[in-house]
Amino acid sequence: MGTFLLRRLLLAIPTLAGVLVVVFALLYIAPGDPVMEMVGERADSATIAQLRRQLHLDEPRPKQFAAYATGVLRGDLGTSFITGRPIARDIAERFPKTLELACAAMLLAVVLGISVGVLTAAYPGGWLDRLTLAFTYLGISFPVYWVGLILILVFAMILRWLPPSGTGGLAFLVLPAFALGTRSIAFQARMTRSSMLEVLGSDYIRTARAKGLPRLAVLGRHALRNALIPVVTVIGLDFGSYLTGSILTETVFSWPGLGRYVVNAIGKRDLPAIQGSILFLSVVFVIVNIIADGAYAAVDPRVEFGR
Amino acid sequence: MPTGRAVSYLFDGLTQFTVDAHLAPALAARWDISPDGRTYTFHLRPHVTFHDGRTLQARDVVHSFERVLDPRTKGGRGWPLYPISGARAFAAGSTSTISGLSAPDDSTIRITLDTALAIFPKLLAMPVASIVPDSDTANSAEHPVGTGPWRFVQWKHDDYVLLAKNPSYWGGAPRIDSLEIRIVPEPSTAVAEFQASNVDLLYVPEAETERWEHTDEKSAFLVSAPALRLWYVAINCTRGPLKDPRVRQALNYAVDVRTMLQRLVGGRGTLAAGVIPPSLDGADTARPPYGYDPAKARALLAAAGYAKGFAVQLWVGQDETFQRIAQSIQAYLAAVGVRVALVQRDNSAAREASRHGDADLFIKDWYADYPDAEDFLDPLLVGANKGVGGNVSFYENPTVDQLVSRARTTADNAKRAALYQRADSVAFGDAPMIYLFFYNELYAVQPWIRGFKAPAIFNGQRFLDVSIVGPGEIASPTRDSVARDTTAPHR
Repeated sequence: MGTFLLRRLLLAIPTLAGVLVVVFALLYIAPGDPVMEMVGERADSATIAQLRRQLHLDEPRPKQFAAYATGVLRGDLGTSFITGRPIARDIAERFPKTLELACAAMLLAVVLGISVGVLTAAYPGGWLDRLTLAFTYLGISFPVYWVGLILILVFAMILRWLPPSGTGGLAFLVLPAFALGTRSIAFQARMTRSSMLEVLGSDYIRTARAKGLPRLAVLGRHALRNALIPVVTVIGLDFGSYLTGSILTETVFSWPGLGRYVVNAIGKRDLPAIQGSILFLSVVFVIVNIIADGAYAAVDPRVEFGR
Repeated sequence: MPTGRAVSYLFDGLTQFTVDAHLAPALAARWDISPDGRTYTFHLRPHVTFHDGRTLQARDVVHSFERVLDPRTKGGRGWPLYPISGARAFAAGSTSTISGLSAPDDSTIRITLDTALAIFPKLLAMPVASIVPDSDTANSAEHPVGTGPWRFVQWKHDDYVLLAKNPSYWGGAPRIDSLEIRIVPEPSTAVAEFQASNVDLLYVPEAETERWEHTDEKSAFLVSAPALRLWYVAINCTRGPLKDPRVRQALNYAVDVRTMLQRLVGGRGTLAAGVIPPSLDGADTARPPYGYDPAKARALLAAAGYAKGFAVQLWVGQDETFQRIAQSIQAYLAAVGVRVALVQRDNSAAREASRHGDADLFIKDWYADYPDAEDFLDPLLVGANKGVGGNVSFYENPTVDQLVSRARTTADNAKRAALYQRADSVAFGDAPMIYLFFYNELYAVQPWIRGFKAPAIFNGQRFLDVSIVGPGEIASPTRDSVARDTTAPHR
């Protein structure tokens, strides 16, 4: 396990270095100008030239990149062009909100998705199965933006059970978590169902039933554990994408997470903020993937570490 | 702080704007102007205290202006203070003091300008000229201390800003206890918050206007006021056929602005016949707009040698309403033979292209930093401000330049207004833009809120006279929330 982790972490380094280079290059190819965003619409060229000099934007690109990369290696992500705040502090303030939302959405997906999947697999072709099939199709197809607005309309405006947006207690988390998790719930229900059906048809389940084990024990202890192997992979991928890309959900529900921060930074061409947060999100994605691989090996004894 | 609006709640300038956009004294109780119009002596209001209890002194003003202009601030928005002698040299880092700025005693500020500038007191009401205590540290961005009617409590980034009333405000304490500014990026969500009674005041999004005005129960909430805000299509006067004024006039005759205003913006505005909003001195309210006359447009195009039309690019940013107007313009111009290719980019990229002169046509708006015709004429139409200065039409007419520059030094208001009016009229004939309309701001206000007036200028409403009555006193006694996306582009 130790060597596995070490190898994966070492492999992450070139990945992240690549991200650094690509993000830097993209930002300079893309149109738009950070200094123009800073000075507003009534500026003069002397002020613009001065700011460009102060922010070292007039230096050759390789030199700018070297300065930025050196900062990153020392753990310094720089300060925002627009607010002057350290990027690391901005990220530290917003990432917990993104994490909170991602965890809540994942929890819903795991609990609801897997239990619905198991239930429908236990009674294939029944009314629940058919109803779930319809709902999961819709859940996978609806865009998250639309789901979010419909949830606000129904639960906040018509029924008035929950607040439409913002942050605060648990009540504020429910709608965004459902909006973000809908696709995962649906997807995992379907994955679990098909995986369970496959396992339930196998010989060792027939053996387990034949020796008179109770139905629940067969489903839970014998079938589910093996059926979960593909599901865990999907959970890992979804979780990684939620941690790095819940931009739409954060926008619809005014949720102050990292996704909105990145989008705002891009709108203002706030280069250090964009670079810093994308680098951070890449690190998160890499870590989540390593954990998912570890978990995959843990549920599937056929996978061995280090191979 | 997020926007100029929020700055005006926490801070005061030497001067301020009223809700209907008139200049009024603020921290300066009065001021004298030297006969040559170059030296202003501001007399500070006595016994004004900052939120931390310290008394306002003249050196705070000096410090505040130095801080804005200090190159280390890297703000880049100090231009309203540039008329002060020595301000540019200080901003460039070549001097350590601003020669035209001094505090002869604790309650007096003396400012000398390079040239006489009649609008100077208006520039001092802008957010950038807000007065901060001279002991303030780098941390003040997180815990701002001012003299304004509201004191800072908490700022959750991208979520809300919470302010509490300043009971010892020199202008009298606000009538409500706290003010919460919610940051809601999605317009439909902001509307939901209003309908769930979670916010008391809503800045109605452009795209929602029609839905609100045509629903009786919703329209009851509406409060509207003409804003100092012009919507227009900048015509780049240096590109191809657009160099010919007849072609530019033709574009104005070819589009039915009245119908677009009714159908696309819910009638929220007044047709523009010039760049000066009707409420400002210098506006010629008798001047008729171009009007919809496709036959005349075709005739002008033929006279200019473009009987068969030509092709242009119309650039547009992310704003949904701008995009819809752009599509309509495309159709109207096609009818007179002008083939419009729409170029849609994100705001930053579209602005950059227009400032570099790469856009033939660019649909945009301009709203006043201060209520004066000069704030429209100078940036939008004066040759020296081509490109980054705001004149993205790249229009240059020596007559206009001269009239505007004469007006700047003319102290007499009536004479200045006459000069403005002539400049606007000359430029209108040259048609450096498709004149669209002056926009009305629209707010939705809950029935338990009293005393709210829609401000004509962005920092004109400071919630001093706003109060909560009736059931609201029980339901939400201390909350006043403004749902507004402070992340929206704001100058």
